[in-house]
Amino acid sequence: MADYPDKKKWEELATKELRGEPVESLDWMTAEGIKVKPLYTAEDLEGLDSINTLPGYSPFVRGPRATMYAGRPWTIRQYAGFSTAKESNAFYRSCLAAGQKGLSVAFDLATHRGYDSDHPRVIGDVGKAGVAVDTVEDMKILFDEIPLDQMSVSMTMNGAVLPILAGYIVTAEEQGVSRDKLTGTIQNDILKEYLTRNTYIYPPEPSMRIVADIIEYCAKYIPKYNSVSISGYHMMEAGANSVQQVAFTLADGLEYVKAALDRRLDIDDFAPRLSFFFGIGMNFFMEIAMLRAARYLWADEISKFGPKNPRSMMLRTHCQTSGWSLTQQDPYNNIIRTTLECLSAVLGGTQSLHTNSFNEALALPTEFSSRIARNTQIIVQEESQICRVVDPLGGSYYVEALTSAVVREAKKIMEEVEELGGMAKAIESGMPKRCIEESATRRQARIDQGEETIVGVNKYLIDEEPSGEILKVSDEIRKEQIARLKKIKKSRDSDAVHKALDTITNCAKSGGNLLEVCIPAVKARATVGEITQSLEKVFGRYTATTQSISGVYVSAFKDREKIDSIRKRTDEFMKREGRRPRILVAKMGQDGHDRGSRVVATAFADFGFDVDISPMFQTPGDVAKMAVENDVHVVGVSTLAAGHKTLVPQLMYALKEEGGADITVIIGGIVPHGDFDFLYSKGVKAVFVPGTSMIDSANLVMDALDK
Amino acid sequence: MKMNLDDPQYYVQGVLAKDRRILSKTITLIESSQPSHIELALDIVDRLLPYSGNAVRLGITGIPGVGKSTFIQSLGLYLIKKEHSVAVLAVDPSSARSGGSIMADKTRMEKLSSLKKAFIRPSPSGGTLGGVTRKTRETMIICEAAGFDVIIIETVGVGQSEISVAYIVDFFLLLMLAGIGDEMQGIKRGIIELADAIAINKADGENVQKSEKAQVVYERLLNLLSPSYAHWIPPVHVCSALEMKNIDKVWETVLQHRAKLNSSGELEEKRKKQALAWMWSLLEEGLKERFNRNTNVQGIIPEIADQVTAGTITPTAAAYKLLRLLDK
Repeated sequence: MADYPDKKKWEELATKELRGEPVESLDWMTAEGIKVKPLYTAEDLEGLDSINTLPGYSPFVRGPRATMYAGRPWTIRQYAGFSTAKESNAFYRSCLAAGQKGLSVAFDLATHRGYDSDHPRVIGDVGKAGVAVDTVEDMKILFDEIPLDQMSVSMTMNGAVLPILAGYIVTAEEQGVSRDKLTGTIQNDILKEYLTRNTYIYPPEPSMRIVADIIEYCAKYIPKYNSVSISGYHMMEAGANSVQQVAFTLADGLEYVKAALDRRLDIDDFAPRLSFFFGIGMNFFMEIAMLRAARYLWADEISKFGPKNPRSMMLRTHCQTSGWSLTQQDPYNNIIRTTLECLSAVLGGTQSLHTNSFNEALALPTEFSSRIARNTQIIVQEESQICRVVDPLGGSYYVEALTSAVVREAKKIMEEVEELGGMAKAIESGMPKRCIEESATRRQARIDQGEETIVGVNKYLIDEEPSGEILKVSDEIRKEQIARLKKIKKSRDSDAVHKALDTITNCAKSGGNLLEVCIPAVKARATVGEITQSLEKVFGRYTATTQSISGVYVSAFKDREKIDSIRKRTDEFMKREGRRPRILVAKMGQDGHDRGSRVVATAFADFGFDVDISPMFQTPGDVAKMAVENDVHVVGVSTLAAGHKTLVPQLMYALKEEGGADITVIIGGIVPHGDFDFLYSKGVKAVFVPGTSMIDSANLVMDALDK
Repeated sequence: MKMNLDDPQYYVQGVLAKDRRILSKTITLIESSQPSHIELALDIVDRLLPYSGNAVRLGITGIPGVGKSTFIQSLGLYLIKKEHSVAVLAVDPSSARSGGSIMADKTRMEKLSSLKKAFIRPSPSGGTLGGVTRKTRETMIICEAAGFDVIIIETVGVGQSEISVAYIVDFFLLLMLAGIGDEMQGIKRGIIELADAIAINKADGENVQKSEKAQVVYERLLNLLSPSYAHWIPPVHVCSALEMKNIDKVWETVLQHRAKLNSSGELEEKRKKQALAWMWSLLEEGLKERFNRNTNVQGIIPEIADQVTAGTITPTAAAYKLLRLLDK
């Protein structure tokens, strides 16, 4: 063998190239706090536990199946759903015709939170961020001419999981498909809802019972169905870094395992049916390492329960490219981002994948943008020849070293969770939420000061308004849904419905499997809202408590001058007005995504604002009352679920009614450009879209106040 | 009515008419540090003073995490059911560095805050002259004039502000938790002495027994302290704000206390004393502020302070010298 230069020689050469700077000057600290060096060699693999494994065998670092994509490529599974069941059904069928392989249903927020379309709290939510489902009749239309014994369907549902899963089972039955033939996945991952997203209904304890009931029922009667999809995606979207995503997700998973074991199920009865769902961001190799590390860690953890079936230790996962990494500015760039994230997911060995549409930072995807998103995967799958080899990055010095670093760091967090008594207790303590929020706020600060590049947002900006078509869901949908609901309520046997609902309430009180008793109610055409209420009578509806962090944004932001200048502005305001500028950060409707509003709150407090935070899920009237009582100068509405066109005019009206017409209203979140003029005409003073830096927003708010 | 934002009558009439917007604006004036606002606010408070004094003034404190907001929500909901109207004044700490603050009180009082008969006003602690309690006391008066018959003052943490709040309310309730190591939970003995009752919160689920044990401990402790009133021994309750358990008992205690002190004349006496103590504390504060602003004093303080630390002059002589400058 030739005598190649050693590492020392390389260092000499590198130092020369760097004009005398040490090689260490090229080290880079990732958001996870993992040090990445400019060069990895065989030395870095010495003593690593996770290398030299084979795909298909525990610990599955290189993939759960022996042949991976060489044998069968991943499932292209696009998450979609909007307006009515009929429209969503037509959309699904066209997608399947165009090469999509599995379905993934998005429900609207009203359904998630267990409200029927005619509930006064959901005026702005019906059919907006997903499809509206009130009864099994809607479900039947949703899956019309889609044979459920052949199609694997994934349903993102956590809060109202009982009526929806029961609805799916009944729909199949009425299609002539028995439950044991059903394949697919129900998300049924309630723990992460208390951390992010907030589409829970009941308090943690009864919610965990529901999860266990479903695992138990599925293990008995729907053996091919994934009874939980343990999801890290939403944590990532809320700002968790990759290590946090793995650690908290697996910790959630372990909590479900314990809940199922408490039911005296054998680990092999249900563990093979637990599936995962990870979010894939822009740090290309980190995301690959994350998926490999996740498989290693899960196999390691489950092995402690003594499974006999190797499938119990096998982590199978769905992935989705990050919605948060998409920009509203220069949106075609998002196609490239999504392609890279798609590659990460595939090189990391995912089992199924959703690729985002490029205009999702603006609104729901259109037919065109959905096609591009789907084709991104098809092109990688069918044109790039990537599928030919299993785990092509296995043995890469860097990827293997990074995989083991993620394992090491994630273990630390998982141990911390364990010390708190498991994930349910940890969530109660507020620890995970605090970690994720700190990570989100730091990241925002890094982006705002250009330490992390986002093309079109903080570098290479173009002076062009985003245009192009977007999909808008009409407010008429709600009326349509309500009319259908009325009709169904009239035509059903209401005695049978009430009897079935009482059975549910009793079962909630005295024990028994809740999914089992929900099925007859669904058959009798009880609504999602009615079933939810019959449980709520016993369980109550959960309200989250809010802990806030402060000082994090400013400590991660290095440009003192900018901070000092905005602080000077708020100080001057204080001198002039006798108090600090006061802003109410408000969430209306059933949109539970609170990352944006939380980051705004902590950053603005760091800038010297007095910040009020509204509870979640407020009506415009609630917000107006709070704004007036607290006498704020500004109401900042955070909106991510397309409810703004209904809710904001109502807020303006309610403010006027309360005598607060002088209060400035601004909006931040996902707002299509075409809606700006409408909002301005209603009196909104400023609209901030994703990508606006916190300091710029604060200065613009001050501009509005100084006028 | 035509709006004249400089006219005290505009605010006085608005508050008396129970106009939520004007009530809230008046509180802003009271909290303001701007001299013209302060003057206007003093005028308004004076004019509204005759309409105040009819409410139950309740102070609630306890360490962070004891469940103050949840307790206040449960009590508030209970009171509103009994036809009361409730004003909640909450003080949130401001950051010393940015001056800003985050006020998330209402996220923990969601149900109460949406009710018409409840008025909840969180206030940042920092940035205004005269301290938290000046503002809170005056705000309390305004809320009484606006017809609220129960005023709840919530303070966060445990320190000086709790002690002063105890001096502006009729009833001072201390919330505690069972089974958190140190029985005192960082609560200063002085605060326990001021408590008119202790409620051990979160007595739900696995915590019930622990709470009942803690109840005995606190009862014993309170017996050792010298009572503030001739006719009142502070009771200890076990409650769960989350489950709305024993909230009614706490309220009954407040009423019993009121009845006893009313009949003995101690309540009137207490309020009179509070008013006088109030004047003195404002005087002290004002004098101190005036002293600090005095141009004669300002120039010489650093020099004299240096002399004191260097030991070339005694603290007594230094203070005497500085005070004499005020007479010039």
